[in-house]
Amino acid sequence: MDYIRILKRGAAAAATSYRLIIIMWLTALMMVLLVAVPLKSILKGVFDRSLATERMLDGFDAGLAGDMGQSFGYLFGAATLGGLLLMLTGFLLFTFFAGGLFTRFAAAYGDLNVASFMKASARNFFPFLVLALLMTLIIFAWTALIIGVPVGIMAAVTDGAMTGSNLMRIPLLIWALGMPVWLLVADHSRRWMAATGSGRVFRAMGAGFGSLKRRFMRSYGAMLTVMIVNVLFFGAALWIAAWSVPERGGMIFLFFLATQLMFLIRLLLKSWRYAVVSELALLPA
Amino acid sequence: MRQSLFILLVFIPAIMRGQVIFDVPLSERTTGYDIAAVLETESKTVTGDMTAWWVNRSAMPVDHALLHLYLNAFSSNKSSFASSGRWSPAGDEGWGYVRINRMSDEYGNDLTMTMHYVAPDDGNINDRTVLQIDLPRPVLPGDTLKLNILFESKLPSPIVRTGFNKDYFWVAQWFPKFGVYETAGMRQRESDGWNCHQFHPNSEFYSNHSVYDVSVTIPSEYVAGSGGQLVEEIDNGDGTRKIRWRAEDIVDFAWTAWPGYKVVRDKWRGVDITFLTSEKGLKIADNQINAVKNGLEYLDARVGPYPWPHLTFVDPPMEGAGAGGMEYTTIFTSAGSGLIPPFLKMAEMVSIHEFGHAYFMGILASNEFEEPWLDEGVNSYWEERIVDNYYGGGYGIIRLPFIKMSDADMARTSYIGSPSKQAATNDLPSWLYPHGTYGMMSYQKAATWLHTLEGLISTETMDNVFREYYRRWAFKHPSGKDFIETVNDVVRKEHGEKFGNDMNWFFDQVLYGTEICDYRVSGVTSRKITGYSGIADGDSVAFTRSDRKSDTLYLARVGIERTGGMMLPVEVLVRFDNGDEVIEEWDGKERFRDFEYTGTRKVTRVIIDPDNKIDLDINRINNSWTDDPQFTASGRMMTKFIFLMQMVISLFTI
Repeated sequence: MDYIRILKRGAAAAATSYRLIIIMWLTALMMVLLVAVPLKSILKGVFDRSLATERMLDGFDAGLAGDMGQSFGYLFGAATLGGLLLMLTGFLLFTFFAGGLFTRFAAAYGDLNVASFMKASARNFFPFLVLALLMTLIIFAWTALIIGVPVGIMAAVTDGAMTGSNLMRIPLLIWALGMPVWLLVADHSRRWMAATGSGRVFRAMGAGFGSLKRRFMRSYGAMLTVMIVNVLFFGAALWIAAWSVPERGGMIFLFFLATQLMFLIRLLLKSWRYAVVSELALLPA
Repeated sequence: MRQSLFILLVFIPAIMRGQVIFDVPLSERTTGYDIAAVLETESKTVTGDMTAWWVNRSAMPVDHALLHLYLNAFSSNKSSFASSGRWSPAGDEGWGYVRINRMSDEYGNDLTMTMHYVAPDDGNINDRTVLQIDLPRPVLPGDTLKLNILFESKLPSPIVRTGFNKDYFWVAQWFPKFGVYETAGMRQRESDGWNCHQFHPNSEFYSNHSVYDVSVTIPSEYVAGSGGQLVEEIDNGDGTRKIRWRAEDIVDFAWTAWPGYKVVRDKWRGVDITFLTSEKGLKIADNQINAVKNGLEYLDARVGPYPWPHLTFVDPPMEGAGAGGMEYTTIFTSAGSGLIPPFLKMAEMVSIHEFGHAYFMGILASNEFEEPWLDEGVNSYWEERIVDNYYGGGYGIIRLPFIKMSDADMARTSYIGSPSKQAATNDLPSWLYPHGTYGMMSYQKAATWLHTLEGLISTETMDNVFREYYRRWAFKHPSGKDFIETVNDVVRKEHGEKFGNDMNWFFDQVLYGTEICDYRVSGVTSRKITGYSGIADGDSVAFTRSDRKSDTLYLARVGIERTGGMMLPVEVLVRFDNGDEVIEEWDGKERFRDFEYTGTRKVTRVIIDPDNKIDLDINRINNSWTDDPQFTASGRMMTKFIFLMQMVISLFTI
C-alpha cells in the first residue's frame, strides 16, 4: 500500500507545483525560440514568394534540398549547431530548476513561492550540476558496458552481419532494469542535498546510495513505475508530433499549443519522479 | 509399354527444356562457353576447363582474338582498376587473378606462346585484364574459332563486384571471355575490329549474347545459384556435388555459393524467380520479390517482353555486401542484407535497378564502357519510374507524414547539388569522367534529362520510343546515336514538326553539352492604370478615369529569365485574382521574356513549368511567384523543431 500511496502523494506534490513547472516550461520555450525564430527567418528568406512551400504541405519534400542549394547546407548547419547549443544550455537550465524542485519536495509540502524557488535553484545549482555530470557519465558508462560491448562483440563475431541479434534483447533488458537504480541514486542524492542544504556532492552520493539501499525494493518498484509512465508518454508524444501534418495556419497554431501542452505534461511527469523519490526518502528504513 | 511411352512423352520435353531453353535463338549467338569448374573453398580458387567459341561474322579474316581476364585487375595494385584506389587486398590472401594454364585451338595448336597482354584504354603496361592471342591461322568469315582453355581463377577479397569473404563466394567476371568483334558500321564504327576494354572501376559490361553451359562442383553444404537454368544436380558422394546450369542469349555468367543461403521461389507469369538471401533477409523476402515482379510488370508493358523463363536474385549477407547492387542479366544482387527499415525503399530500389539491367545491358546490349549513360542512365530512369509508380504515391523512396522523397528527385538532387555538374559532357567513356563525376553524370544526370525528355514529348511517346528501341535493337548492340535516331523517328511520327526536324537540339545540350538549365521568375507587377495620354500612330490618345467605369484597370507584367545556358521550351502559368489562368509558351531561347496583360485583374501567381516537366531545372524554388506566400509548412516544421528540442533536452537532463 505504501507503494501506491507514495505514487499518489508524489503526483499530488508535482501537481501542486504547477507554477514552478510553468516557469520551467516558459523558460525552456524562450530558450528554444532563440534558435527556432532565426531558423524560420532563414527558411522564409530561401522561399521568399515561391510556391515551392506547397511541396512541404504534407511533409518536408527532401527533393527541395537540392533546389535550396547552398542555403540548405547553411540551414542544416544552423539547425544542428543550434540544436547542440540548446542541448547544452538546456542541460544547465533543467539542472538549475531541479535544485528548486527538490527543495520544494524536500520541504514536505511546505509552500515554496516563485522567489524562493529561484533562490533554492540558484543555491543548489553548482552541486547539482556536478552531480548531474557525474551521474550522466555513470549512465553513459553503464550504457557502453551493457549495450556497447555486446554490440561490438556481436559485430566482430558475425562480421557486421549481427546475425542472432535477438540475443541483444538480453543486454537491452539488463540496461533498462539498471536505469532506475542510477536515477534513484541521483534523485536520492539530490533530495539529500536539498533537505540538508549541503553542497558536498560525494557525501550526497553516499547518502543517496545509502538511502536507496535501505529502501531498495519500495524505491525500485516506484521508480520503475514512474519510468514506464514517462517512457510511454515520451514515445507517444513524439509519435503524435511526428505524424501530425496540420496544413492551415489555425491548425498549426493549435498544433503548437498541443505540443506545448505535451511538453508541460512531460515536465510534470519528470517532477512526479522527483517528488516520488522525495516521498520515498521519508519512509522509515 | 504404354506406361513407358507415357513417361517418355511427359518427361522428354521437360528434360529437353532443361537442355535447350529457346527453340529459336534470341540472338546471333556469336560466342559460347562450356565450362566445367571446381570451387576450392580453402584456396578460394575456381579451376575451370573451358571450351569457348567465337564466330567470325565479318567479311574479313581475323588473325587475333582479344579476351577479358578481369580477375587480373586484382592481381596488382598497379592495374588500372586497383590503382584507382578503390580496392586493396585484405592481406596476402586477398589478391585475385586468373591464370591460363593451357590454351589450344581445335586443331591442338598450343596458343599459350602467342598470348600477351594489351591495354587498349590507357596503355598501362601493368594492367593484365585484356589478353591478345595471335592465331596461327586466321579465322575466315563465317568460320568458328574454338579455344580449349584450362584456367585457374583466384577470387579476390574484399569483394568488389567479385570475390570471397570467409565462406561467402560471389563468382563473377571469373573466366576468360571474348571481347566483341565489331564490324564496320556497327555502333558507327568505321572499320572492323575488336572492342575489348580493360577492367575499370566504373564499368565492365560489353559482351556478345552467348550460350553458357556451366557445371560447378562445390562442397555439398554450400547453397548455390547462378544466372542459368538448372539442368542437373549430382551428388558426387565425396562431400561435393556438381551443379549444371544452362543459359542462353545472356551477356555474362555469374554464380554464387554460400552455406547460409535461404532459398525462396516464386513465379511471375512464365518466369521462375529464385531469391537467395540470408536468414535476416527472409523477413523482407516478400518485399524484395514483389519489387522484382513490379519491375517485370512495368518494363514488360512499356518496353518489351522479358524473354527468359528464369531469373535469380540475391540479397547478399553482410559478409558479401561488396557483391551488392550488381547485374549479370539473369542473376543480380540487391543490397541491405535485410537491415534497411521497411519504410525506406532502398532495397527495393536496388533490386528494381539491377533487375532493369536485364533490359538495359542484357537485352539492349549497349557498351557500358564507352557510353555508360545508355546503360546506367537509361536504367536509372526506368528504375525511378517504377519505384515512384509502385511506392509512396509518387514518393517512392520514403513517404512518411513528416518527410517524403521520390526516387526521381533523389537522382535529380544528386545532379543539381553537384558542384561539378558542368565538369564534363555526358557522353564520355566511363574511365574519363573527371573529379569523381562518373556516377552523377552516368546515372543521375542522364536519368534527369531522360525525365525531361519524357516531360517534353509526353510519357506515351517516351514509352513508344523505348518500345521501338527494343524492337529495333533487342539482342544487338545499340549505340547512343542509335537511341537518338529512334527518338527522332518516333517523335517525328507522333508529333510531326512540333519539336523541329529532329530532337538533336535536345541531345546536343544534355548529352554533348555542359550547360545547365535554370529559369526564374524575375519580377511580377500589377500596376493600376490611372490614366495616360500621348501620341500613338500619329493620333493623340488619352485615357481618363471616366473610361474605367467601375473597375480598376491594371497593367500586369510578368518577367521571366533564363539564367542557365541550356535552352528548353517552357510553359508559364499565369493566374489572376479573378481565377483566370493563362498558359504561355516560350521557346526559352532568349535570355528573358516579358508577358503583359491589361485588364481588370491582377496577377496572383506565376509558375514556370507548372507540370514539372523540366527536371533539369536546377532551381525550382525560383520558378514560381505568388502574391500570397504561405509559410504554414515552415511554421509546422519549426513547431516540430521546437517540440523535439524541448523533449530531447528534458531527456538528456537527469
